Amino acid sequence: MTGSRAAGLTLAWRFAAFRSEGFPLLPTLILLTLALVAISANAIAPYNPEVGVLGERFRPPAWQAGGSAEHVLGTDHLGRDVLSRLIFGARVSMVVGFTAVIVAGLLGTVLGILSGYLGGWVDQVIMRITDTWLALPALTFAIFLAAIVGPSEMNIVIILAAVYWTRYARVIRGEVLSLKERDFVRLAIVAGCAKRTIMRRHILPNVLNSAIVLATLMLGVVIVTEASLSFLGVGVPPPKPAWGLMLADGKKGLMAGYWWLTVLPGCCIVLMVLAANLLGDWLRVKLDPQLRQL
Amino acid sequence: MRRYILRRLGFALVSLFLLSVTIFFFVRVTGDPAVLLTEPGASQADLDAIRQQFGLDQPLWVQYGSFLAHLLRGDFGQSFYYRTDVLELYLSRLPASLLLAAVAMAFSLVIGLPTGIVAAVRVNGWWDSAGKIFALLGLSMPSFWVGLLMILFFSVYLGWLPSSGSGTPLHVLMPAFALGWYFAAAHMRLTRSSMLEVLGSEYVKLARLKGLPEALVIAKHAFKNALIPVLTLAGINLVLMVNVAVVVETVFAWPGVGRLLYEGIAFRDFPVVQATVLLGGVMIVTVNLVVDVLYAMIDPRIRYE
Amino acid sequence: MSRSTMPGLGALSLIINDAYSALRRSRWIGVLLLWGGLECLAPHPADAAPEGTMTWGLHVTLASRWLDPAETEALITPFMVLYAIHDAVAKPMPAGPITPSLAESWSVSKDGLTYEFVLRKTARFHNGDPVTADDVKFSFDRYKGAAAKLLKDKVREVQIVDAGRVRFHLKEPWPDFMTFYGTSASGAAWIVPRKYIEKVGDDGFKKAPVGAGPYKVVSFTPGVELVMEAFDGYWRKTPNVKRLVFRSMPEEATRATALKKGEVDIVYLLSGPIAEDTRRTPNLKLVPSKPPGVFWLEFPDQWDPKSPWHDRRVRLAASLAIDREAVNQAETLGFSRPTGSIIPRIFEYALPFDPPPYDPKRARELLAEAGHPNGFDAGDFYPFPPYTSMGEALAGYLQAVGIRTRIQTMERATFLTAWREKKLKGLVVGITGAAGNAATRLEAYVTRGGIYSYGVIPEVEDLFQRQAREPDRARREALLHQIQKILHERVLHAPIYELAFLWGVGPRVEESGADLIRSHAYSAPYEDLRLKKP
Repeated sequence: MTGSRAAGLTLAWRFAAFRSEGFPLLPTLILLTLALVAISANAIAPYNPEVGVLGERFRPPAWQAGGSAEHVLGTDHLGRDVLSRLIFGARVSMVVGFTAVIVAGLLGTVLGILSGYLGGWVDQVIMRITDTWLALPALTFAIFLAAIVGPSEMNIVIILAAVYWTRYARVIRGEVLSLKERDFVRLAIVAGCAKRTIMRRHILPNVLNSAIVLATLMLGVVIVTEASLSFLGVGVPPPKPAWGLMLADGKKGLMAGYWWLTVLPGCCIVLMVLAANLLGDWLRVKLDPQLRQL
Repeated sequence: MRRYILRRLGFALVSLFLLSVTIFFFVRVTGDPAVLLTEPGASQADLDAIRQQFGLDQPLWVQYGSFLAHLLRGDFGQSFYYRTDVLELYLSRLPASLLLAAVAMAFSLVIGLPTGIVAAVRVNGWWDSAGKIFALLGLSMPSFWVGLLMILFFSVYLGWLPSSGSGTPLHVLMPAFALGWYFAAAHMRLTRSSMLEVLGSEYVKLARLKGLPEALVIAKHAFKNALIPVLTLAGINLVLMVNVAVVVETVFAWPGVGRLLYEGIAFRDFPVVQATVLLGGVMIVTVNLVVDVLYAMIDPRIRYE
Repeated sequence: MSRSTMPGLGALSLIINDAYSALRRSRWIGVLLLWGGLECLAPHPADAAPEGTMTWGLHVTLASRWLDPAETEALITPFMVLYAIHDAVAKPMPAGPITPSLAESWSVSKDGLTYEFVLRKTARFHNGDPVTADDVKFSFDRYKGAAAKLLKDKVREVQIVDAGRVRFHLKEPWPDFMTFYGTSASGAAWIVPRKYIEKVGDDGFKKAPVGAGPYKVVSFTPGVELVMEAFDGYWRKTPNVKRLVFRSMPEEATRATALKKGEVDIVYLLSGPIAEDTRRTPNLKLVPSKPPGVFWLEFPDQWDPKSPWHDRRVRLAASLAIDREAVNQAETLGFSRPTGSIIPRIFEYALPFDPPPYDPKRARELLAEAGHPNGFDAGDFYPFPPYTSMGEALAGYLQAVGIRTRIQTMERATFLTAWREKKLKGLVVGITGAAGNAATRLEAYVTRGGIYSYGVIPEVEDLFQRQAREPDRARREALLHQIQKILHERVLHAPIYELAFLWGVGPRVEESGADLIRSHAYSAPYEDLRLKKP
């Protein structure tokens, strides 16, 4: 009895502590909801998001004149249900966003650790590549890769990862350089630990915080880049319901008054990216106050 | 110090060389410019003639050799699409890009600095969140969307601003805002963290101990010192803005280098792509080099890293 | 430290700005001189002086090479500029597809080996020089664009008879000579001034072109803007509109907004909802032009005996599954024309076929007969970039009868390269606006030498070879019609529609020049355009 009350108190206290430190409750809830929607898309979407009836194109949302409850959020230029596309779009955007961020993160972190810890020619090679990457603006680079590998969901992930891994590599390398000078690492070296062991046991856990913060912040960048690629015609290929693609497709209807085709997916993107950024900012302050230039 | 500078200069040259190789081969594996200069039904003879004219029938390494030889003489070649000198083309677009970037930077700092300071000082919870969210919004919205919504609102609905093109000071406002807003969050974040750092420093504590009013401490002592890293970042971002404005330039039909590059890629105009990317690369590498060297001058520890 | 970074950048931008403003200044001087020059010239007594400015929002990026006819590739776009600045010996005009222009007439020798052109005495270049036989020969010799090799292989000699007469001697009879020389199939007949080019060089010419067309160049910013002014020495007539401005606006929504705001008078290439909005807006007009472009569905797998597409019934099913009129409504608001042939009906030797009916029930039956009662997986589907939404609609119709595809969008260059290298499998949406006649169009897609031919029917190849040697027009037509019949019966393609190219036209325009010249996509002839009287 007392035990459980104590536990409850602790929980409440912890929660309060979180609140007081500005824990971004709302952004977290938004991200969780979106994730839930993405997972259960099959169950909750009223229509097949990729098939439409051409004769029913540009139906407005239900509350507007001409709208009906059949398509609560209206239909697009091919007569597909916008609500269903938004729901499945959450899945595409989340899968593309998260996978890209994780792949880029893994690649960048591993190369950053190798570069920072091993130094020498490994460092030289990796850093010269990052410099070269840096001299080529991300979007340009992405357009290039898209032209080479052709668009598919998988390729977009590869492109985004290939473009953005350098951001991790540079930050992580910097961290590793300072970690190398710390006593526990020096001790491990003196104790004769293998390089691989030191990197895995001592370095990796200490740079994880930065990697996670970066990943949260990069999620937004990746999703916005994906949308921009769609705008330039080299993004996730149709008829996949990616938000960025919907936004790019819908832009033509904006002037004709078909606002729901751009405003709705745009709001979804903003919601998700803003939530990720708010969470990322908070994490950055919490986990790693030193991180500055992100 | 001189050794350090030379070393960095060497690195810069290496990465520019890598960039030239990368761009040269990348652009060539993506497709054939001849098919884009003709209707889809064009005859083989016409296509061959175009390839021959551009030297695309030569082996790749021969093409690269001649590209490099010309480059060292400052000759970027003739555009396939325009059939004029590429450097001339680039220089005719650069002023528009620089103007756009400069105004965008002004917008970005106008948003980023106050929100960053407010976030650091936490004068007021509400202002803090509102400012932060406004800055972050710019980062969260694809700039083509912001651009189109702005056109719809300011030029179609209100009729205040011209919808696209360039020429008058009014033309630059919307594209610059769309571009600047995206960068505002980065400036806000850096302003905030460097403000916090400075506010925690000894001399600010000293100033407070002396009993100076808090507003004065923030404005005079903290802000001035916190500004240095922010302006450094602004310098880097200014160069980036010149080179990443593709989307904004397309939406607003703004005649900058971003569109030149994007269309260069779309038309497989190899010389244009090579020149734009390399010159952009030179800008970016140079500004990074300068920043690194300046930091090294201030903080000698960096040199031995 | 940023203070020390900034001056560097600032100085750089200053230098560039200086160079730029110097350029601009020189352009202004040019304009001033031009003004001075104009005042000296006496106006044509018969015509009213040209007035006003007409501005275009172009869907394409203005290229310097379009200012020089010698660089005219096999593409219709350059003619947008050529018709304004330059003039041709003969060219498509409202009067007909091959209309005498700089030549007032021509004659063909009995053996079909010699073409003699008599030049118009009143024709002049913008710099005042007369257009002579020498210029015609010079222009032909320096021409290196579309069909240059073909023309130069067939023409033995260009002979200057006197200043006003020029003869083309062919190596062998070639019935298509004027089809290539006198239409937009090549730019060889567009005449440039020899003396001027020899003075300023090719690059100089592109910077300050001088032609014999109705408008002269005032200023040109590559990729951005071309400003032209009426040339009152134009032989046909003095243009009505004083100033033409072409502006590149690659983004469709941007073009349409500029039109709505009155910043431009004519915009090209509107589609779907944007076209609809333009049509609904009071004061604005939506106008179709009809370039010779046909959309069709290509079945590259049909030559593989193991593929379902090898079966005619399957191809027919695909063709019947498509509601061409609905796609037409959605994409081009009903302005396109559904068709049953891949040859535009206005082409010489074309044999028009009615569009196959929309009959999904019959399509399903055919599929069942062919052994696919539950449909089949047809692999990849490649829309023609950038007409992705049209491709999506087509794929949707196929899906509805059980032909399941995966849409693969590609960037234009990649797509065209892959198609030419025959790497595209499954289904491909094709379109071309290449000029020519039925024979030239067929050659590219269904003959052995065709760069897009995945396979060839021997009978078609044989007929094609025979027509190429056939001097008699009627017999040639019969052969070409027979080919088109075979293609139709075997359902080699599923033709969709002849594309309408939609323009938006603003309230100030009285004559936009749409469809004055049959099958020309853009405003022309420019001297006939007219603004409304204020």
